[in-house]
Amino acid sequence: MFYSPVITNASEAAKSDKLHLFRYVEDPDQVKVATYEQHGGYKAWRKALTGMSPEQVAETVKNAGLRGRGGAGFPTGLKWGFVPKNSPKPRYLVCNADESEPGTCKDRVLMERDPHAVIEGMAIAAYAIGCHVMFIYIRGEFNHSIDRMEAAMREAYAAGHLGKNLYGTGYDLEMIVHTGGGAYICGEETALLNSLEGERGMSRMRPPFPAIEGLYACPTIVNNVETLATVPHIINHGAEWYRKLGTEKSAGTKIFSLSGHVKRPGNYEVELGFNLKKFIYDPAFGNGIIGDKKLKGVIPGGASTPFLTPDMIDVGLDYESLTVKGSMLGSGAVIVFHEQTCIVWVLLKLIHFFHHESCGKCTPCREGTAWLEQIIHRIEAGEGHPGDIEAMDEVCSNILGRTICPLGDAAVMPIQSAIRLYRDEWQYHIDNHRCLVDTRFEFK
Amino acid sequence: MILTAESIKQIKESAARYPHRKSAILPAITIAYRQVGHLNDDIYREISKIINIPQSEIAEAATFYTLFPKQPVGKYLIQVCHNISCALMGADSLVEYLEHKLAIKKGETTKDNLFTLISVECLGSCATAPMMQINQDFHENLTPAKVDKILADLKAKG
Amino acid sequence: MADSTKIETPARTVETVTFTINGRTATVAKGTTVLQAAHGLGITIPSFCWHPKLKPVGACRMCYVEIEKMPKLQVSCATEVTNGMVVFTESDKVKQGRRAIIEFTLLNHPLDCPTCDKGGECDLQNLTFAHGYDDSRFAFQKLRKIEAGVPSTFDDIKIGPEIVLNRNRCILCYKCVRANKEAFGEYDLGAFERGNHTEINAAPGQQVDNPFSGNLVEICPVGALTNTDWRYKIRVWLTDQKASICPFTSSGTNIQFYVERHKNRIFRTTGRRNDAIDDGWLSDVTRYGYQIIQSPDRLKTPLIKKNGKQVPATWDEALAVAAARLTEIRDKKGCVCVGGLASPSLDNASLYTFNKFMRVAMESNNVDYRTEYRRLPSSLDNPYDIAASQAFTIADIDESDVIVVIGSDLVREHPNEYLRVRKAEQFNRSKVFLLNPLSTKPSDVAALELVHKPGAEEIAISAICLAAMESGWASGVNADDLKSKTGFKKAADAAGACGLDLIEIQAVARAIAEGKKITIIAGELVTRSREREAIGAALCNLNRVFGVDGKGQMAILARHANSVGAARLGLTPDLGAGFAGALKSIWGQYPETPPQNTDAMLAAARKEELDAMILVGVNPVMIYPDREFAREALDKLDFLIACDLFETETTQLADVVLPLAGWAEYRGEYFNLEGRLQSAEPGIAPLNEARPAHQILESLAEQCGSPLFAGMDQRNAEMEKILKVDIRRPWPTGLIEVKPQPQETAPERTVALIMGDDPHHSGYLTEKAPSLVGFCGEAYAELSPELAAKLKVGAGDSVRLEAATGKIIVPVRVSEHIDNDVVFVPRNFMAAPVNSLVSRKQRVDWVKISKVSD
Ligand SMILES: Cc1cc2nc3c(=O)[nH]c(=O)nc-3n(C[C@H](O)[C@H](O)[C@H](O)COP(=O)(O)O)c2cc1C
Ligand code: SF4
Ligand code: FES
Repeated sequence: MFYSPVITNASEAAKSDKLHLFRYVEDPDQVKVATYEQHGGYKAWRKALTGMSPEQVAETVKNAGLRGRGGAGFPTGLKWGFVPKNSPKPRYLVCNADESEPGTCKDRVLMERDPHAVIEGMAIAAYAIGCHVMFIYIRGEFNHSIDRMEAAMREAYAAGHLGKNLYGTGYDLEMIVHTGGGAYICGEETALLNSLEGERGMSRMRPPFPAIEGLYACPTIVNNVETLATVPHIINHGAEWYRKLGTEKSAGTKIFSLSGHVKRPGNYEVELGFNLKKFIYDPAFGNGIIGDKKLKGVIPGGASTPFLTPDMIDVGLDYESLTVKGSMLGSGAVIVFHEQTCIVWVLLKLIHFFHHESCGKCTPCREGTAWLEQIIHRIEAGEGHPGDIEAMDEVCSNILGRTICPLGDAAVMPIQSAIRLYRDEWQYHIDNHRCLVDTRFEFK
Repeated sequence: MILTAESIKQIKESAARYPHRKSAILPAITIAYRQVGHLNDDIYREISKIINIPQSEIAEAATFYTLFPKQPVGKYLIQVCHNISCALMGADSLVEYLEHKLAIKKGETTKDNLFTLISVECLGSCATAPMMQINQDFHENLTPAKVDKILADLKAKG
Repeated sequence: MADSTKIETPARTVETVTFTINGRTATVAKGTTVLQAAHGLGITIPSFCWHPKLKPVGACRMCYVEIEKMPKLQVSCATEVTNGMVVFTESDKVKQGRRAIIEFTLLNHPLDCPTCDKGGECDLQNLTFAHGYDDSRFAFQKLRKIEAGVPSTFDDIKIGPEIVLNRNRCILCYKCVRANKEAFGEYDLGAFERGNHTEINAAPGQQVDNPFSGNLVEICPVGALTNTDWRYKIRVWLTDQKASICPFTSSGTNIQFYVERHKNRIFRTTGRRNDAIDDGWLSDVTRYGYQIIQSPDRLKTPLIKKNGKQVPATWDEALAVAAARLTEIRDKKGCVCVGGLASPSLDNASLYTFNKFMRVAMESNNVDYRTEYRRLPSSLDNPYDIAASQAFTIADIDESDVIVVIGSDLVREHPNEYLRVRKAEQFNRSKVFLLNPLSTKPSDVAALELVHKPGAEEIAISAICLAAMESGWASGVNADDLKSKTGFKKAADAAGACGLDLIEIQAVARAIAEGKKITIIAGELVTRSREREAIGAALCNLNRVFGVDGKGQMAILARHANSVGAARLGLTPDLGAGFAGALKSIWGQYPETPPQNTDAMLAAARKEELDAMILVGVNPVMIYPDREFAREALDKLDFLIACDLFETETTQLADVVLPLAGWAEYRGEYFNLEGRLQSAEPGIAPLNEARPAHQILESLAEQCGSPLFAGMDQRNAEMEKILKVDIRRPWPTGLIEVKPQPQETAPERTVALIMGDDPHHSGYLTEKAPSLVGFCGEAYAELSPELAAKLKVGAGDSVRLEAATGKIIVPVRVSEHIDNDVVFVPRNFMAAPVNSLVSRKQRVDWVKISKVSD
């Protein structure tokens, strides 16, 4: 079977009593239910279902301080609690495996290499909200993840972890693997639900929030793959254990995808609060910049998060510390670029993406992203006009906070931060009709 | 009929799984795309009949998603990720390299109908950049030598 | 405020919230959005994507407001008012936000206002004027959406018989697609592609030709959707609006004509939203039907038959001839020799004048307005008329949790009520049940559709009553009584007899029994049935068994624009002692002669027992359900006067033809199916020499020596008195006997013919409206795929339909939605009159159907 050749810190994890998500991801047999069970798998699911009430499960996760790993960092147990207790409608759980934020490639590792952990987490979450049909929405390009998850699901059914009357409790739980069609916006939870319903993947107005009216207008919880894969460990080891990992407000561990100009790109599980500079330079992680060039900037949380300049990287990788620096943890995708990278070029790549992925429902995002791409494209081509920077900045403010879903914000936050942090370089580009640095990345 | 009995069976099975029939639209177009390699109005019409959903609803959904080509493509659809992480690792020059090797421009298909080359948004292989997807498979950590071998193997397979 | 918030707010909320807007404090129903609340207070908030009858989507972002304690601007169309909320609609931040949206919206807009037909009524133009910048900062090539290889003016493409689309002007408010799906349940239009490449277009390979498609044009805020009816003919500011009422259905849909006075011409019709009736949606027939009035084929002058040929005459000549002959025949000894039929689409004054003309000037009780139904009951005291006279409120459909449609192909007969049923399901999750001899359109929103054998309506209804009784849901009804009155021992037997599944019958019974607010609609398939009285009896029992009148409404709906007026003004032959007495006291006289209904009149004419008839706006040869019978009857008359807008197969038989003015040419009042009195302003002055019916009849009466009124005041005073007569009849308190008259068994190799209206062709006049002909220009036979396969026919082929009475040849339409044992053919097409296949004696018309090979 095919694996992504991506580097992980599984061997560290295996030795650590703190890291847990990556402990077995280098074991090729981990995808099998028997091996997974040998490694303690499905114990948490059995424990939750046979020994805990749904409220206790939700309470435990809440006390553990787990926050959503999909980008927004919303407390998971709290979200589960929003599901109306006495609604007569069915409830649904959807695992968000649309992983499309540029720079992010962590959920894929879990699905390809530890699919049962995802299923087990989903099952526990489903139980906590009283759901009997749960979905995993996997982006359509992830064929290997899809195959893995489907195979694991079949095994889980066969082994009695999914299906009817589970562990003799009378609880039924079905699982459906649903695959996407190539649309970043379908990672946004309301667009995801539309897509799952067979509608165009356009975002919905909130309220109503999915927890009240989500899939098929029924209470629905959407959680990220990593969030859910963490849940069994919390059930096994207890809220206290988890809470002690990471920082006070950012509990636990998190997988960071490291990409760009580092010597050792990869997926690494670390405790939240881990130092970004160390993450980039430590031989166990990024091992420094390619060609030992100077660092120019870092995107710490995926393509939609504001930049950090080299002087800002002595910072903890956690929700609070990054916010203090004006950026965000996002989905935990650290993208590094060195001194020979033109900032305008970087932004062109990013805005092209957001323009391409805008769903087209609301005016500011649909029209604004297109306009921004045209302006940045013109600057990049050496044809910028005086006043372009100001115009761009204003267009950004006319999008920020004015769209239906956060894609609009995601598109403009990096631009606004790049204008703020690298303004001279933009100006140079406009005035001299060319890049300040020669950006040409050969593939070799 | 464009869709084979096997595809129709799969579509019906998938439609039966969901609490609401309309959810079967995306699985149905995925199944059709896997069989045919692209989508078009005739396929929407066939799907519409199979799952009993208006044809326009199928077309509205299908055209929203970019994974499915709406025109015939070569036997091997090469999709190079051109997003930021891959671009930092030379994705643009990877595209040029492929254009040169295949003697076509991005967006075109080789004369023998074997390869179509396009570039796409992030495919979630950022830490193994640059990369490309050929049909269902990802090829990561690409180097010129690897690309040469992949192309040679596919050409040999025909 | 109340009307704009009617549907979105939860039904009948008592809970209210109090908030502040621009410094004013106001209290509104909980669930009201900020935008609606503001509109109600006279504060306008600009918007593009909001529509009062659609769910808000918050797409255009034009409706921003600032709300205290919320850092971001909020979209008022989708934000509900909460207690203590403080809203600002004109703060600097709001103004800046709107300006930005206008700027975004105009980026890729072609700004081709000089060549755009929407000018003067374009929301984008108006809102830009009010809120936008006066300059553009956008210096890039605009996105162009152009059809490759299709030559077109201004990038326009035709996406339906009427609709022209310009995608570049589209601002993606999605109102058209939303209305089409949400309100009309239609899927011939969609939004395709993504992001700012998204485009509205017809569904692949399809035309936008649904029965409500004209609304899409009306609600488009820009010139992206226009129709050929109106395009490039006149600028809107050169027109005046005249409030009118739709003459094609019984809802009394509120419309307005756009008129150019000097040209004496109507240029288009749009809605005049009345939430109690129509929600502002018009069917295409309602919208484009005005074209009939301006058809070049209109009769220009009166005609008199001379030597067997009709020749033009002056009004004086024609009236003189008519009066002379009528008086002569009236005064013939020993017979009631004159009969008259009037159209139930005429206005009150015309109908009333007609009644008085017949009864006073002609001294005859041979008066009727029901020309298209076979075997009419003679007196009004019959179960059918009881069920038909029940009170019904259109808007109450919205809030009904259970809706049952019996014997009505709703979209063809009552397009407006059809939309309300859909709305109830969409917004109120009402359960809809359909009970018909063929599958009908709202089946996609139906909880259950029951298709029974043709000609078994009363048995199906009895089955529901029996099922309720068997399950204990029919309290207070004696089981044996019900069995004996329905003629069935068990629900299962009745279900079997009408070809339905007992379980489904039980489901309907259960829903009606458990429903809190019920609407039961019966329609034309009942009215037109030979067994209308038996079906009426079954409906009376249904009411009795479930106590429908105590928790909702049930009625056989009136079909025509003024059917209710015709009934209330006494246009039926046998009015009963009370009504006749009232008339006698007003008129001082009342004919003693035996009353004859349409059937009886035609039969008498055939036997040469009736000498003369006067027809006002009716075409019996085309609409009477036995074409040859009607033709022969009229042919045998000594004297026939026909008043109509056009030459028809009936006017051709007449001795005197008088050109009638249409509904848009004079002021008129109409009762809609609810009994709501509405008046219509004239759009234009009568064309050519046409005159309103009441004027013609008055002149004629005068010439006959029996003037009807001293003036308009007298006429109105008399009408007022007559309308005080209550013609509603109470539901029977006990069960009544249903005499089931099952259909004749089908002869070998025949199928049941069901005729009705095409959604774009209603009545015999709409063939004169070019736009409607563009949708449906000829009759057709709708067949199931299976039947089509059996006959080896497909699209493009024609079939021959044959019955004892006649045959027609029509093209085939294959439909997935029709059953194998029936064929549907639309009526009133001149070239293929389907009423030549039906017989007044049959309950079900069986036709032989075969392929026409060329
Ligand atoms: C444009 C956009 C794209 C998103 N893409 C993803 C995604 O690919 N995967 C994901 O888990 N969450 C994604 N999210 C976040 C989801 O909306 C949602 O917050 C998340 O799935 C909730 O799960 P969590 O609470 O476990 O993080 C995206 C959000 C936005 C606005
Ligand atoms: S065509 Fe008109 S109604 Fe439809 S989305 Fe465009 S602007 Fe809105
Ligand atoms: S009217 Fe509120 S967003 Fe369009």
